[in-house]
Amino acid sequence: MRKPILFLLALVALLVLVACAAPEPTKAPVAAPKATEVPKPTAAAPQPTTAPAADAPKRGGKLTMAIWQSPTTLNPLLGTQTVMNEVLIYILDGMLRDQPDGSRAPNLAKEVPTIQNGGVSADGKTITYKLKEGVLWSDGAPFTCEDVQFTWQARMTPGVGVASTAGFSDVETVECPNPTTAIIKYKNFYAGYLNLFGTIIPKSAGDPKNMKTWAYNRKPIGTGPFKVQEWIADDHITLVRNENYREKDKPYLDQIVVRIVPNVDVGLQLIASGEIDMLWSITLDTTPQLDKMPGVKYSAPPRDGGERIFMNMAENKDPADPTKPHLILGDVKVRQALALAINKQRIIDQLLSGKVAPLPGELNNGYFACTDIKPVPYDVAQAKKLLDEAGWIAGADGIRVSKGAKYAPDGTRLRLKYSTTSGNKLREDAQTLVMQDFKAVGVEAYVENAPSSVVIGTWEANSPRRHGNFDLVEYSTSVDSLEPIGGLINTFATSSLPSEKNKGGQNVSRFSDPKVDELLKQAQTEPDPAKRKTMYCQVAQSVHNAYPAIYLYQAGNAYAYRDRLQGWIANGNNSMGWNAQNWWLK
Amino acid sequence: MTRYILRRLLQAIPLLLAISIAVFALMQAIPGGPLAAYENNPNIMPEDLERLKDELGLNVPVHLQYFNWLTALLRGDWGTSLVTQRPTLVEIGERLPNTLYLSIIAFVIALAISIPIGIISAVRQYSWFDHVMTTIAFMGHSIPVFWFGLILIIIFNVTIKNPFTGGPLLPGGGMYTIGATASLEDRLTHLILPASLLVIHNLSGHVRYMRAGMLDVLLQDYIRTAHAKGLKERAVILKHALKNAVLPLVTIIGLEIPGLFNGALLTEVIFSWPGMGRLFFNSIERADYAVMMGVLMMSATLIIAFGLITDVVYAFLDPRIRFE
Repeated sequence: MRKPILFLLALVALLVLVACAAPEPTKAPVAAPKATEVPKPTAAAPQPTTAPAADAPKRGGKLTMAIWQSPTTLNPLLGTQTVMNEVLIYILDGMLRDQPDGSRAPNLAKEVPTIQNGGVSADGKTITYKLKEGVLWSDGAPFTCEDVQFTWQARMTPGVGVASTAGFSDVETVECPNPTTAIIKYKNFYAGYLNLFGTIIPKSAGDPKNMKTWAYNRKPIGTGPFKVQEWIADDHITLVRNENYREKDKPYLDQIVVRIVPNVDVGLQLIASGEIDMLWSITLDTTPQLDKMPGVKYSAPPRDGGERIFMNMAENKDPADPTKPHLILGDVKVRQALALAINKQRIIDQLLSGKVAPLPGELNNGYFACTDIKPVPYDVAQAKKLLDEAGWIAGADGIRVSKGAKYAPDGTRLRLKYSTTSGNKLREDAQTLVMQDFKAVGVEAYVENAPSSVVIGTWEANSPRRHGNFDLVEYSTSVDSLEPIGGLINTFATSSLPSEKNKGGQNVSRFSDPKVDELLKQAQTEPDPAKRKTMYCQVAQSVHNAYPAIYLYQAGNAYAYRDRLQGWIANGNNSMGWNAQNWWLK
Repeated sequence: MTRYILRRLLQAIPLLLAISIAVFALMQAIPGGPLAAYENNPNIMPEDLERLKDELGLNVPVHLQYFNWLTALLRGDWGTSLVTQRPTLVEIGERLPNTLYLSIIAFVIALAISIPIGIISAVRQYSWFDHVMTTIAFMGHSIPVFWFGLILIIIFNVTIKNPFTGGPLLPGGGMYTIGATASLEDRLTHLILPASLLVIHNLSGHVRYMRAGMLDVLLQDYIRTAHAKGLKERAVILKHALKNAVLPLVTIIGLEIPGLFNGALLTEVIFSWPGMGRLFFNSIERADYAVMMGVLMMSATLIIAFGLITDVVYAFLDPRIRFE
């Protein structure tokens, strides 16, 4: 039996050699340290080209990008996937397009409607869009107001599986006095009126009643710079130049191939070998890997929202009664102390290569950003002081025990259940660091993780965040900064408290403040965005002062690209291809 | 024989029914559901969720959902995907050829290599050839597929360059070069890495069954008799021993063939292969009940069918086996 063991050893040795030799293919000149190219938030809509002036854009060429999820449909009415929008951005236009700084630029509209230019009526219930003239669909048909009308009607068709009717259900009519004017009349004021019609589909798409079986769902016709040539499921979507595109000589590229790869690691290999030029949505913990790839850059534009730990302000029960305070977390001082106790920068430095910013609170990005709200500092001394004041005194083993606390009977241990989605390494690592920080101030936490479909899931799936049987729950979410009203109501309004009767409620923290409810109600009827912004910031400030959540770090997704791509600007408020008509290859 | 086959076919009906009930029930137990993707989207209103539940038929009681699915299936309707709104059969039909193309080629190569290796290993038991081959086969099976696949990509796609073009030596994924005119060469270069991965992984089982079967047979009296008759070694092995030694392998092959239709998930994931494994995985992730049921029932039917075929083939290979 000697010989086989020898052979085995030799083979193992060989394999180890191969394995050791393998991970070093990118030894070549270590690329100059890459700054995360964050576009500066200039006030004006940026002129979309980063190319040095000496290099004139070249026409032609094929760009290959990779997405690592399969779009289920390319009909924007039926889908909600982010990845669907990543593909549709090349094909479809809307009235306006969201810019890197959070402003909006006209796309199919001639100008952004405002009260000043008469596009928005005094009560905000009539919005008039002037449409660009001479725009053609990729099939050659002219784009007119009737297509806008059709988009609304199709979305309101019952029984065909339209994903979201939010806002569109508030529209009373879409009137077309002439082909290049669209007047949208609302039954009641809808604050996010500029968000609607972000994608417009042609009336040739088909009969809305048969929307589920439209050929359009797989091969959409649009006014954008590219059109679909073929879509091979789970493999690729080939986009070719739309010869009818309205801007002269654009797009520069002949073709964009969207490869659908199974996961982000495969995408990383493909960009390393140069098989693809762009990679969608990578987390920043992969940046050390990217830094080693010659010719590969990445960009992490600022985004809405990010990772946070929601604290349960109501008694931990199934289902929770929001009128009864949580024995420990019901006291704002304890919540504030926990927020102060966490070293957010350590999480960012150790787990995310220091590449993201701490998250100050809600509304961190875009036009409605509340810049007055600063991240909660890391202050152990203050955290300890607050816990002492709140009646939580360090016990024999260092963990605090209540003595005269606001809600907890004396002798209660400061012990909290800490849940997040299982299988997410970044989160689980962050959990470890947070628990270390908690321990340093005498707070004990224990992990009870579950798959994301449970943690994030429905009332029926016994999601703890819905039922309220949790203490701390960590995940990422955001309030849409383009129009935060819906997101703010869902997250912080009393009407959004989850219960047997309101199973879809997303007010996870059980936060309830009559002042916030009133402000949100007022904002729902305020047509002037500047005034709404003031109200939203008051809401965000009230939320900030009440500490319903501990904000950890900003959503930190980056895009990787090879340096032969020119003309692209990262845009955290939009999809990767938001200015694809200006892209060219060196 | 005919009666036996008929009886087995009749037995398959209640079996498939029971499987379908079990699978349907298990599927409902998966937390989440087709609308889970919307649950963490603060910009989707609860009213939209309620409406969608209604429109997708998720408010129908589970037993009725099952009954509707079953009656539709009996009419030949495999249902419509809840997320893509396309017929399940279309979804499967797009992936199945891709999967069969890869898995059958890999399967045939694995068999073509493993049978001779198994025979030689058995005939020359404990020779250096035997040791090397059993070790390689054993290691091929033990190395995790996802790891080895990535190593193959790093070596043949990232590190080693094609000396003529300067590009990667072998493609790192996909079935063919997108946009290029179809050519056999292009297809083959895309096949090399994923097929090698599958072959290496599946080699060991076949080699070991072949080797064990052969060793068993070589000790039998009739082989000694054949030798005594003065037959050449070659004739003894290939004519007298092989037919009997291959029986265990036939069982294994019968069990493996249905698996070829299911796709090799890990290989498909690593090499971006648009096959059945990924379809099934995605359908689970999205709780796309119709597609999940479609794939699982196809799989169950194939397993039952090939179980029966294996038994029939047995009767041909071994005259002692008779079904009454």
